Amino acid sequence: MSGMTGLALRSLRHRMTAQVATFLAVLLGTTLIGSFATLVETALALGPAAPDRDADRETLIIMGAVVGGWGSLIVLFSVASTVGLTAARRAGEIGLLRVLGATPRQARRLIRREALAVAVLGALAGAVLAAGTGWLLLDLLRGHSVSASVEYAAGPASLGAAAGLVVLTSVAAAAVAARRSTRAPAGVTLRDSDAETGRMRWYRVVAALVLIAYGVGGGVVTITVTANSDDPYAAMQTSGSCSILVGLGLALLAPLLLRWLAAPLAGLITGLGGQGAGYLAAYNARRRAHRLAAVLAPVIVLTSAAIGTLMLVSIDTRTLPGGTEDSDTINLLNNVVVGMASLFAAIMVVNAFAACVADRWAELRRLWLMGATPTQVRRSVMAEAGVVAVVGLVFGALGSLATVIPFSVARDEGVVPDAQLWIAPLVASVVVLLTLGSGRFAARATMRTALGEVRRPAT
Amino acid sequence: MTAPPVPFALEAQGLTRTFGAGTGAVYALDGVDLGFPRGTFTAVMGPSGSGKSTFLSCAAGIDRPSGGRVLVAGTDVTDWDEDRRSRLRRERIGFVFQDFQLMPYLTAEQNVGLPPRLAGRRPDRARVRGLLDLVGLADRAHHLPGRLSGGQRQRVAIARALVTDPAVVLADEPTGALDSATARDVLALLRACVDELGQTVVMVTHDPVAAAYADAVVFLADGRVAGRIEAPTADAVAARAAHLDDRAAHLDERAVRR
Ligand SMILES: Nc1ncnc2c1ncn2[C@@H]1O[C@H](COP(=O)(O)OP(=O)(O)O)[C@@H](O)[C@H]1O
Ligand SMILES: [Mg+2]
Repeated sequence: MSGMTGLALRSLRHRMTAQVATFLAVLLGTTLIGSFATLVETALALGPAAPDRDADRETLIIMGAVVGGWGSLIVLFSVASTVGLTAARRAGEIGLLRVLGATPRQARRLIRREALAVAVLGALAGAVLAAGTGWLLLDLLRGHSVSASVEYAAGPASLGAAAGLVVLTSVAAAAVAARRSTRAPAGVTLRDSDAETGRMRWYRVVAALVLIAYGVGGGVVTITVTANSDDPYAAMQTSGSCSILVGLGLALLAPLLLRWLAAPLAGLITGLGGQGAGYLAAYNARRRAHRLAAVLAPVIVLTSAAIGTLMLVSIDTRTLPGGTEDSDTINLLNNVVVGMASLFAAIMVVNAFAACVADRWAELRRLWLMGATPTQVRRSVMAEAGVVAVVGLVFGALGSLATVIPFSVARDEGVVPDAQLWIAPLVASVVVLLTLGSGRFAARATMRTALGEVRRPAT
Repeated sequence: MTAPPVPFALEAQGLTRTFGAGTGAVYALDGVDLGFPRGTFTAVMGPSGSGKSTFLSCAAGIDRPSGGRVLVAGTDVTDWDEDRRSRLRRERIGFVFQDFQLMPYLTAEQNVGLPPRLAGRRPDRARVRGLLDLVGLADRAHHLPGRLSGGQRQRVAIARALVTDPAVVLADEPTGALDSATARDVLALLRACVDELGQTVVMVTHDPVAAAYADAVVFLADGRVAGRIEAPTADAVAARAAHLDDRAAHLDERAVRR
């Protein structure tokens, strides 16, 4: 046992860079979820004598539980995918350990403990930060959405719960990845780390379908039921989160989408004269869909959540110009959701891309050895970024419809909203810039490792 | 009257490569003059650290020599920039590595066709198939490297090295990761490249038996040429290699004692 832990800690030290993404994801995730959790704890601690106690309580709980809840879904998803990616990256090394005689159980334990160690560190730091950001969040609400007299009253309970949730998610994700990387016999593991066929597990497909069905169901309910409600916000409640749900569901299917679409897209990119770059990107995306899927997933969620929610706010302000007494809070809520989802997804895209490409430095060097110019090597990574951006935009936009169409119908604008349709291309261009930018960043950083040594000028 | 110059597929003139500077500088290559005539199979041997890999890297445009010249099929490539070196590697040099260096997400056939792809050409299907056939893997064309054995992977790598009909095939311990039976197949294949395709092969090896497949063996020691055997037998090679190893060990010992 302790030998295994020692090994885990040692291997952790050698893999610090690989764990940075996990650490950051856990840190930010805990900070975000923790901030909203403090609102709930503050609400529950409101004394009976507090003025406007019930109204404040309700606002804080809605804010904390609803916004925090949706946010948590995105955050936990991102944490899980990052941890999974890091654990999968260890597959080659794990294969070696197994050849040296480690049992599958030992190998799995190694991956889990490593994830646990990083997650606990990240979550502790995140909880400390969340105490501060939670206070700031409350301060932002005070005087607008809740009475100025509400006192910040959160502590270990909410922060601990948030940290615990993130740690649990991380360890579960690591366990799933560990199972995947140790399923085959030892020798095979070593080889498959090169090109895993990466079939999707059934529970992943089921989870994806449930999320999509739930999101589409919300849309249907919006059109058929809540559209007719007297409360103008009823339709928003049922449709607001649909784009996030469908986006998450599609993101879970990312490996599948890549496998289907990489080939035709690659044809397109190769046709543009990538000198083999598009060709390489296509086959890499298709045959190792699981790795690039870690980049694609946040792109889909980002696109879907951002287009969906921004269009929702746009339709809302157009069709309800005066607003109601709740409008301020509701707009703030929506903006917080968009901001949070975008920030998090953006960080994930950069992280996942960097991790995914850094892991392939030996392979990029191989291309160069085979006679690819440095420009071609970089282009092959950029072509992958292109594939991710296109697939992500298409499915992200599709996911956003789950919110946009029902809400637009509910507010009598018809299937297509009346104005501000430029939101979609605007979000799209931001996403493309983000994806290509992080691809470029990842390629640069990795090529320094891959080609640096040999390109050093003669001494 | 001077004899007409021998058409060398690969030639090194006064090749040096140093690592580091000042007193700590290591002379990985220290004035190597070697010519490899077209259509010959040459083995390069020498103690570990004698500069064999550095020599192949400099010849292939992977590494840059610190001094001297490299001529590929008579063309001086020493001062070529990075992009031209890349083109050199994919058009004029076939490189076979100890660890295969196949792209894991491309099938055997696609790996073989990669150099022309990188040159922006669609690989000649018949040629790729013909090469896979030559290396005995026609039935494995659609397998990913992960599903091939070590020997099969190395044969794919050899087919890839031949695909552009390069000026010279360079192999750095191509049998180093293979068992002896598989190694024999790979060596016979390299021999066939020379005998049947008229290729020029330069192969680094540690194994006297492998070296005996070559037409000649060149010995390197401390970055210098330390001898040559024509029409080598395994025994002759082993004797000479043992002598060089002893000398290297002796030098090491002296260095330690000092
Ligand atoms: N990148 C490098 N940096 C510093 N020294 C190197 C480097 N590559 C090779 N060397 C040194 O150059 C010498 C020759 O190395 P190498 O050509 O790999 O030997 P061989 O292949 O014959 O075993 C060795 O002393 C080695 O330590
Ligand atoms: Mg060597």
